Amino acid sequence: MSLFQSLSVSASGMSAQRFRTELLAQNIANSETTRTEEGGPYRRQDAVFQSAGVSSPFSSAFQSSLDAPNTGVAISEVQIDDKDPILRYMPGHPDADQKGYVAFPNFNPIEEMVDMTNASRSFGANVTAMNAVKDMISKSIDLLRG
Amino acid sequence: MFDPLTGRMAQYLDLLADRQKLVAANIANADTPGYKTKDIDFHFEFQSLLDGAAPHVIEPEGLKTKNDGNNVDVDREMRLLSENSMRFNLVSQLVKGDARDIRLAIKDARG
Repeated sequence: MSLFQSLSVSASGMSAQRFRTELLAQNIANSETTRTEEGGPYRRQDAVFQSAGVSSPFSSAFQSSLDAPNTGVAISEVQIDDKDPILRYMPGHPDADQKGYVAFPNFNPIEEMVDMTNASRSFGANVTAMNAVKDMISKSIDLLRG
Repeated sequence: MFDPLTGRMAQYLDLLADRQKLVAANIANADTPGYKTKDIDFHFEFQSLLDGAAPHVIEPEGLKTKNDGNNVDVDREMRLLSENSMRFNLVSQLVKGDARDIRLAIKDARG
């Protein structure tokens, strides 16, 4: 049933955008983090999207011609930013090097906020698509009532 | 179903449902690098659907491709989204009316 699959497609979009927002929040929270498990300052992370098939319990049983494999969206990888850290002269800081410089994350608040707005808009677009499909499904059910 | 016209309307609804799925997929993939907008040539496909063929997916031309190779135009998709829903509502109302007429006719025959 194609309409129900549309719901899964939109849901995959919503969860991908949600994941992306979580990474962005993590970036903002760690904008001043100078210590990580891998050593060095925190590095900005970003999600890379990839189109992917949506799994629906029925889709394998009822393959239709429109069940093209790549329709939904999934996170293919989390990209770690390789920009050089920003050095600030803070000799008293416990993470300062011999010359007194501390490596801070190369953090640009504008970049994060633009991405955040983008992700939230995309999330909203998926919600709208989902509502439209729900409306169509309920209209189909209405046909039974006559 | 009841008559050839209603049967066509049912096929039309199916086609709208298929298209809605593609629009939803385009919106979901608006941030996917390299993803190309998918659609069906609606009028052509409706004709071939009536001849019994299944619709096939095309990639519409003339859309602007972004730096990451993605060419989803969210505005276009949102327009198609509402257009599709409205068409679906309209035709489902028509089918409903058809069903009502038939029920009425049966009732009348009973006297």
